[in-house]
Amino acid sequence: MAEANPNSNPGVLETLGEEIVRIVAPVSACMLLVVLLVTALSSSSGGGLASIATIAYSDDSSDSFWDKLKGALLSSLSFVVLITLLTFLLVLLFYLRCTRFLKSYMAFSSLVVLAFLGGEVFLLLISRFYVPIDVVTFSLLLFNFAVVGVLAVFLAKVPIMVNQGYLVIIGVLVAYWFTLLPEWTTWALLIAMSLYDLAAVLLPGGPLRLLVELAISRDEELPALVYEARPVEHLPGAGTRLWRERRDLASNSSSNSNILEAGDPASQDTSLVIAEEGPSVSALTAPFLQQQLERHGEVELEGIGLSSSGAIKLGLGDFIFYSVLVGRAALYDFMTVYACYLAIMSGLGITLLLLAFYRKALPALPVSIALGIIFYLLTRASLEVFMVQCSTNLLMF
Amino acid sequence: MTVAAGFGYVLISLGPALSLFVSVIAKKPFLILTLLASMLFWLISLIVLSGAWRGFLPLKSASWWPYVILIVTSVGFQEATRLIFWKLYKKLEVILDAFAEEKFRSRLSWTDKMQIALAGGLGHGVAHAVFFCVSLLTPSFGPATFFVDRCSHMPFFLVSAIISLGFMIIHTFSMVIAFNAYAEGRKLDQIIIPIIHILAAVMTLINLAPGGCAIGVPLLYIIGGVVLRHCWQMVWRKLTEQGNRQRNSSDIHVS
Repeated sequence: MAEANPNSNPGVLETLGEEIVRIVAPVSACMLLVVLLVTALSSSSGGGLASIATIAYSDDSSDSFWDKLKGALLSSLSFVVLITLLTFLLVLLFYLRCTRFLKSYMAFSSLVVLAFLGGEVFLLLISRFYVPIDVVTFSLLLFNFAVVGVLAVFLAKVPIMVNQGYLVIIGVLVAYWFTLLPEWTTWALLIAMSLYDLAAVLLPGGPLRLLVELAISRDEELPALVYEARPVEHLPGAGTRLWRERRDLASNSSSNSNILEAGDPASQDTSLVIAEEGPSVSALTAPFLQQQLERHGEVELEGIGLSSSGAIKLGLGDFIFYSVLVGRAALYDFMTVYACYLAIMSGLGITLLLLAFYRKALPALPVSIALGIIFYLLTRASLEVFMVQCSTNLLMF
Repeated sequence: MTVAAGFGYVLISLGPALSLFVSVIAKKPFLILTLLASMLFWLISLIVLSGAWRGFLPLKSASWWPYVILIVTSVGFQEATRLIFWKLYKKLEVILDAFAEEKFRSRLSWTDKMQIALAGGLGHGVAHAVFFCVSLLTPSFGPATFFVDRCSHMPFFLVSAIISLGFMIIHTFSMVIAFNAYAEGRKLDQIIIPIIHILAAVMTLINLAPGGCAIGVPLLYIIGGVVLRHCWQMVWRKLTEQGNRQRNSSDIHVS
């Protein structure tokens, strides 16, 4: 394109919405990987999954409509109750400052996810594509993969790309296993999770809300798996430095000196979302979204601060359940996948708008999941017939 | 061959869109968001249309007139949504301009506006290709292919990929023309765009006749070429006239 614009500084198009794109891109990558996994493996793996989610009911295709509905409701209810209990336990532990225990527990659970779920998925892929590989090499590679993953997510200072990449991989693995649940249970679970999310973040006594408030009042990292988009740097260097300091803070949580709060704390309006890991086999997560508005120094630079640079945080649980929805849609048809993808993205956009408006932690699941399910149903019910009718006659417009 | 063929079809229908995306859109976050919004907009319009037609489908009769009604109503509705899209964008542009003024002390340049229009058009085009073609391509990755009786020279997937590429071009660049026409109040262009759209859609009606795709598809591409040429002319005219103006005013600007 001809850049007739003589100004050398970046324009609106380059800067506006960068924060959003930085969160949209990993979510899209996560969904894409789940869809690819589901389509590659759906024919080969027929076995049902026995996990905590099927504790109360296991779907059987011979069951009647009402049996299925009842069973799905029951299992999603038990699932949500379990998550609620675990989240309260997490809040309690966090309140008692068992940070070290929480950290090692979460490192352990991500090790389990990466090593066992990941190993299982890799085995399926290997047998699906007939990859020639021997046991020793495979276990060595898997071991390295898992250990590096745990280090990258929790313990060590690594490049941001590696950290974010591993978070996305954990999301993909967990989401893939969720798509193996029976269809009705998946839908009931998605709805139940978004309702839970809504309650847990917004109700005064909601566990996630307690967690966020606690973390803010103590100025600590949330003990949870959170995807943190790198803040956009308007001042060169400022953003990255800030981010690193934050990581430092996280890695040795004993030293809680406020390097971070260089600005005055009042201008710092913190809140947003997180996912925490529950201890079920399929690591669990409850979501919400956290945004930080840091107006370091920009206030004097920019006059009235329209500019708010801050990282958007999205709980890994949101990643997982978005991907579960898309993965479930992929089991039906690709058209539903595209429709659900667009719906979820618009839901995310709406949530981010609300976030900018309310400036506090918001649940990221309800809007997206609701839109996703509506678009899924509409696509299945009417769009597909229409499209097939047009396309098979080679009619387009 | 099978997976290769599947990817080939996908690349035929989406390849040019992909290169446009990589070269123009991907570096500018706001354009990515515009693209997503425009795809969503197009999808919603399609869902509304399909909902309205749900009661009459699938068409059992072999006659062609129901298809004519279907095409005409669909194109009419989509042109209406283009107008709504423009109205929404117009509101957004005011905010954008204010934001740019405050932050960068410059308003949106005409290239910025044109890029936004391009992203909006590309969103329509990509959504079209995705829903009309790519989402039906899944079987083509398997070991067989599929022919329709009325167009037996080529596999069905190849024909639909080629047609959807043509529509991708038409949608993308007619959006640029349309936005420009709305902005400048050029009545002629405002009328030409719906006419081109409906002409292109009517060209696909030729596919209903046996062997018709050998005539309909080239005609569609001629329309695509006309749109491209028109768009280029318009951009060229703006380039020259704005270039002159800019040269004159930039001295004042710098000082």
